[in-house]
This record gives sequence, C-alpha cells and structure tokens, in this order.
Amino acid sequence: MAETLEVALRQRGPIPLDARLSVAGGELVALVGPSGAGKTSVLRAIAGLLAPEEGRIACGGAVWFDGARGLALAPQRRAVGLVFQSYALFPHLTALGNIAIAMGARPAAEREDRARLLLDLVHLGGLDGRYPRELSGGQQQRVALARALARDPKVLLLDEPFAAVDQVTRRKLQRELTALRRKLAVPILLVTHDLEEAAILADRMVIIHRGRTLQDGRPRDVLRRPVSPLVARLTDQRNLFEGRIEAAGSETRLRWGGLLLEIAPRPEFPAGTPVAWTIAPSDAILHSRHRPSQGERENPVEGSIGEVLRLGETALVTIAPHAAPGAILTIALSEHVVDRNALAPGEPIKVSLVASAIHLMGRDGPAEPD
Amino acid sequence: MMDWTALRLSLELAAWTAALLVPLGIVAGRALAHRRFAAKSLIEALIAMPLVLPPTVLGFYLLAVMGREAPFGRAFEAAFGQPLAFTFAGLVAASLIANIPFAVQPIQRAFEAIEPEIREAAWTSGLSPLRAFLEIELPLAWRGIAGGVVLVFAHTLGEFGVVLMIGGAIPGETRTAAIAIYDRVQAFDDAAAGALSAALLAIAFIATAVLFALGRPLRERRRG
Amino acid sequence: MRLRLILTFFGVTLLASTAQAFTVAAASDLQHALPEIEAARGLPPGARAKFVFGSSGTLYRQIVQGAPFEVFLSADEALAEQLIDQRRADAPGLVYAVGRLALMIGAARRLELQDPKTALASPQIKRLAIANPEHAPYGRAAMETLGRLGLAEVFRGRLLLGENVSQAARFVLDGGAEAGLVALSIAFAAGDKARHVVMPATLHAPIRQRLVLIKGAGADARAFAAFMASKEAMRVLARHGFERPGS
Repeated sequence: MAETLEVALRQRGPIPLDARLSVAGGELVALVGPSGAGKTSVLRAIAGLLAPEEGRIACGGAVWFDGARGLALAPQRRAVGLVFQSYALFPHLTALGNIAIAMGARPAAEREDRARLLLDLVHLGGLDGRYPRELSGGQQQRVALARALARDPKVLLLDEPFAAVDQVTRRKLQRELTALRRKLAVPILLVTHDLEEAAILADRMVIIHRGRTLQDGRPRDVLRRPVSPLVARLTDQRNLFEGRIEAAGSETRLRWGGLLLEIAPRPEFPAGTPVAWTIAPSDAILHSRHRPSQGERENPVEGSIGEVLRLGETALVTIAPHAAPGAILTIALSEHVVDRNALAPGEPIKVSLVASAIHLMGRDGPAEPD
Repeated sequence: MMDWTALRLSLELAAWTAALLVPLGIVAGRALAHRRFAAKSLIEALIAMPLVLPPTVLGFYLLAVMGREAPFGRAFEAAFGQPLAFTFAGLVAASLIANIPFAVQPIQRAFEAIEPEIREAAWTSGLSPLRAFLEIELPLAWRGIAGGVVLVFAHTLGEFGVVLMIGGAIPGETRTAAIAIYDRVQAFDDAAAGALSAALLAIAFIATAVLFALGRPLRERRRG
Repeated sequence: MRLRLILTFFGVTLLASTAQAFTVAAASDLQHALPEIEAARGLPPGARAKFVFGSSGTLYRQIVQGAPFEVFLSADEALAEQLIDQRRADAPGLVYAVGRLALMIGAARRLELQDPKTALASPQIKRLAIANPEHAPYGRAAMETLGRLGLAEVFRGRLLLGENVSQAARFVLDGGAEAGLVALSIAFAAGDKARHVVMPATLHAPIRQRLVLIKGAGADARAFAAFMASKEAMRVLARHGFERPGS
C-alpha cells in the first residue's frame, strides 16, 4: 500500500530554499533545474542528510521532519532509498555485499538471497562477487539502485542517476527504470538537469530555481504552458517573445511588432496588458510553396530563413519575421518537408501560428535565469 | 655484548605507546576529519607541536609537570605509591604526549580520505552511526590507522631527549636502547654500541618497509 | 591464555619498581673503575648495583628532583655536602678518592707531551675538549688549570664542552678536538687509542670525590658503600689513576 510523499521546505541559508512538492505512490516526479538550483538539497532534506530551518516532510502517516515541532528523524530511521550522483558504493564490499549490508538485521544467508534477487532485478545476476572498481559505470549505477531498494523503502530518491554515463548506456538505464517502476509502487523523485530525460521518464515535472519550486505539472503542460518567462527560459523554450494585448473590435488580439495575432483570450490579460508569450516550435504550420495560401489560415507570419538545423528526422528552422524585427521564430518540421520545400537560409518563408497554441504569461519576475 | 634489557625496554615502551595511542588517535583523528568547529585549527596546531618542538624543550616542560615537586607528579605518587619521573610509567606518559601527532595525523588523513557521500550512503542504507563506523569507515581507514601505529612504534624506538630527561637512564627501568647506545659510546664500548645500533637499524628498516607496503593503493592488490 | 600472560608481564613491568637491585649515581670518571669494583664483590646479577654515570652536577639535580638513586658517588665534594645539608643524604659519607686531571690526545697525533704546559701551548691544538665547567668538577678543574697557566684567553672560543667528562674524552677520540683535559681514569681507559700526560695537581683545587648514601638507602646499597672503603676497592681505584684521599 504505497503512500504519498509530501514535502514543504523553507530556509534562508546557507542554501536558500522555498520548495513544495508531493509525489503519490507509483508516480515518478522529476525535479528539474539548473546546477545550483537546490534540487540536490531538497533530496538530501528528504533523506535526512540536511535539516532545513522550517518545513514538513512526511510519507503517508510517518512524519520525518517537522520544523515546528523540532522533529528531525535521522536518515537511518526514514524509509528512504537514495541513489547518489556518484553512486557512493562501498569500495571494500562486493556488489552483493553492498546490497546485503543495507538489509538490516536479518540472518546473513537470508540477506544474501534477497540481495541476489535484487541483483537479478537490475539485470546484474552473476556479478555478485565483483567489486565496484571492477564494474562499469552503468553496472555501478544499477548496484546503487539495488542497494537503495534493499531496505524496501517507502520513497525512492535518485540524484542525477544517469549523469555520469554515456548516451547509449543512459538510454538503456532509462528504459530499465521505466520498466522497473511498474513493479514498484512507491513514489519516486528523480533529480535531473536534463529536460528531455524528465519529459521521457516523469509523470510530473517540478521546476526549481534558486531553491524555489516554480511550476509543477505534467511535462507536456509545463513545457507547453510555462507559468512565467523564467520557467520558459529554464525549460529551454525557444520561442519566447514580448507583446501587448490590444482590443480589435470586440475581440482581443496580441500585438507582436507589426502583427496582430489571434489568440485564445485570457481574462487575466485584458487589453492594454504587456505580456510575454511562447509557442512550441511544432505548433507553427508551414505555408507550402507549391500550394497557394488560403486566406483563412490563422496568424500568418512572413519572414526570411535564418538557419536550418537538421536533427536526424526533424529539423529546426529559424525565421526572422519581417513584421517583428529582432525576434527569431523557431519552427520544427520533418526533414522531408524541409527538402520538399527547398528551405534554405536566406529564402523567404511563410508560416501560420496556431492561435490556441499561443501561450500568454505575465511579464513580471526576472526574465534571465542566470 | 647485546644489552637485551635496554632493547626490551625500548620495545615495551614502543608497544605501550602504540597500544594506548591507537584508540585516542582514532577518536581524535575521526573527530577532526568529520567536524568543523571554530577551534579546529588551534587544536590541529597543538597536536602538531611535538613534531616541531626540540625534544629537550618537550622534556623540560614534561618534567616541570611530572616531576616529584610538581602537582601532577605529586598526585601520581600519592595515588600509585611511586613517582612518575624516573620510572617506566613516566616514560610512557612522556612518550604518549610526544607521539600524539604521529598517531592522530595519519589517522585523520585516513578518515578524511573517505568521501562524505560514502558515510551518507551508509546512513541512508539503514546503518546506525556505530555500524557505519565499524563496518564502513574502519575497513576503509585501516591502512592509515596501521600506518599510524607503525609510525608511533618506530618513532618511540628513536626517542632520546625526552626519555633521557624524564627517565634518568636507569638501567632496567628507563635506560632504553637509544640511551644505552649513547652510554656505551661514552664508555668507549663501541662493540656494544654497534650491536644495539644494528638491532635498532634492522627494526627501523622493517618498520619503513611495512609503512610503504601499507601505502600501496587498494587497486593494486587482488582481494579475494 | 598467552595474551593474559603477556598482559600480566607488561603490567608487572609498568607498575613494578625494581625491588631487586639498587641504583648508584656515579660521576663519569668512574665509568671504567666501578664496574670492576662491583664485579669484585662477586654478587649474583640480581643483587648487583645498577650504575648511572653522568656529570656530578646533573646527577645532583636529578637526586633533588627525586631520582631513585640510593648511593651517590660525586666527583665534587661540595655537592655531596649540599645533599647532606638538605637532609637528602646521610652524613658523613666517604671521601673515596682524589681525582687527577690529564691532557689527552689521540694516538695518531704527533705532539710532544713531556711538558704539559708546553704541550697545551702548541699551535697543533686548535680545539680543546673539556667537561662543561658549569656542572662537571673536571671541567672546573680544567678551567682553573688554563687560568693558572695563563692560557684562558688563548682558548676562549676554542673550547669544546662535553656534557660530562666522558663525552669530552669522546670528542678527542673522534677527532672533534685535537686534545682534551679529562679525568686521568678516562685517559687510562682509552688504552692505546690515546696518549696522555698528567697535569700537575697544583694547577687546580683538589678534586675530592665523596660518596654519600641517599636517605632511605637499603641494606644492599649500604653494603656497596661499605665496600667502597675496602682495600680491594682502593686497589682498583689506584689502578685507574685515582689517588688516595689525604695523600
């Protein structure tokens, strides 16, 4: 019966924190942010390696930390499994030994049997006797994971678990983790700076910056609908622009340079409000050269092509819109569309921006994530 | 003619000093490795003092504390019925102080060399602080600890100034091999001095060899 | 089982006082004579005296600091008397010998030793070893001798001070000094490694060597002290260059 992890932390220093998140049983939540954002601190606080000034950490009914009551359980007394970024395997113990030692007070034979089961679970069966220095990075990571699971933890914490391995191994480990979590029913909190990884693995994403949790939602929602320009920059949103809401008759439009774009109206941004806005690169539709444009296409934007970046099967095309000088619009197209339309730098291009995909945000807050 | 008594005294002094300093070295070395506190630099400097002090200075101050007229010496005599200075017990006491840096520093380095994350991994794997210390830290630090023991042992064998001032070179009681060598040289007995010197040289050589063997990294040896 | 034996052994060593033999503090010039005298007593090893040699001044200080010596053979009578005055030693003690000073040079050196005064003035002697006059009676006698010969200024800055008179002799043998003013008994003991000539006794105050029993000395120590007055002991001392007291 898996329980929900609830975390609320606050402190002024030495590392400022103002974080709030929760992870339900069976859910995998990615905590995402740039280096130094405080993600590892949040993880350490949950594990009991750091005691914040204020806050509360509880898993189901068990309260592990409560600043108000002065309660802070030692890591040994919290049912957590933590995979360190550097794995932190015990160098003087074998793979089996590393896992068995985490199994608490049980007879040695029983611990070893269960440890062997865990090794099989992470596809390392047969490597019991190897020492950490004799294992590859990917193998070490799996041992670290198995060790974290040895305690039957109620919460699994992973600190950038795939950062230290090569691309191919990373993909493999990510697939294994996805397969593994179906078997585990515990809340899993994964810390990463890799947006793509978070998007692939997580049910939900939490964006953290300078110790503050800024947005919490499904990856698709966070990436498509960032709550502020800061989050947009943190999530590497390519198309981030400024504009102003204008009234056009009975409707509201978005003024962007010389263009008036149709948008899905939002009551919190009345006419006259300066706004920031984003649109996903894939939500722009190319006007084909060989077919004449149809006048009803929404939000037409004309410009000239800056670059064509080929990324395997897709390509990113940057456009300098004539009506919004200085801005660079990036659209994503499949490679064969790029070829078929002979898109090349310097060529004129026309695209339509899907009105419902234009996401508005307030301009307040720092725009630079530094 | 080999002065076996003097050699035995030297070995006993070295053994007692090493045995008593190891627990102290582990407690102090570990505390210094893991903690950060305001007076830490001061304490580390104090611990290092016997390394830089001339042995006679150390002997002078120790005698001022341990002599029969001094408060500590008097207290000891009252408690145990015999004085501290000019006895083997006094030598052990002086040797303990003179060897503190040789015990604490290597052990401190050994514990410092253990990455903090390893200890944290032990705690988050459910090990109590005591189990983490016994099953994770000690096995990883044992080389440094053993190195400290050998260093203390070897250094004590060579102690001269402090031993002479505190002990008074009494045969069978405080005249260690190092003192005996000096004594035999003064008595024009070069043969006896040579025999004792050769014995100490051999022991020192063995000690250095052991120290170097301990220093070899884990990687180079296959562990069963 | 073995561990317990070892521990017990160590325990005995650590806290037991050596109850069997007794310790005698003796001036360095007796380094070679005393073992011979003690051997002449013919006692089993467990009952023999243990000797600690050093300069009389250093030994005196150690006794004052509580060193467990039971007999003190001082080369400086005044120190023995001070111990008596301080009630640390039993009166009256015994003047067991009078020491003589000798000029000693390494065997390999060519220096005429017929006339000690001329020899001392030789330019071949660049450095002269003596015992430290601050706490060694032979050192004091050496300084007195140099003074009476008018050579004190000549040797200023060229003296090699030994911690005791044995060490001064060692300096000569090892080549640290070309010559030394040391105890005659030590010059004798150097055998053919050195040559020497006796310095006239008129050049310094007599080196009267007195033995005292420290308070609390046991029967074994007293027996030894008594033996020091015997004819046999006197014969050994004479062989080593000491003179009879009163002569």
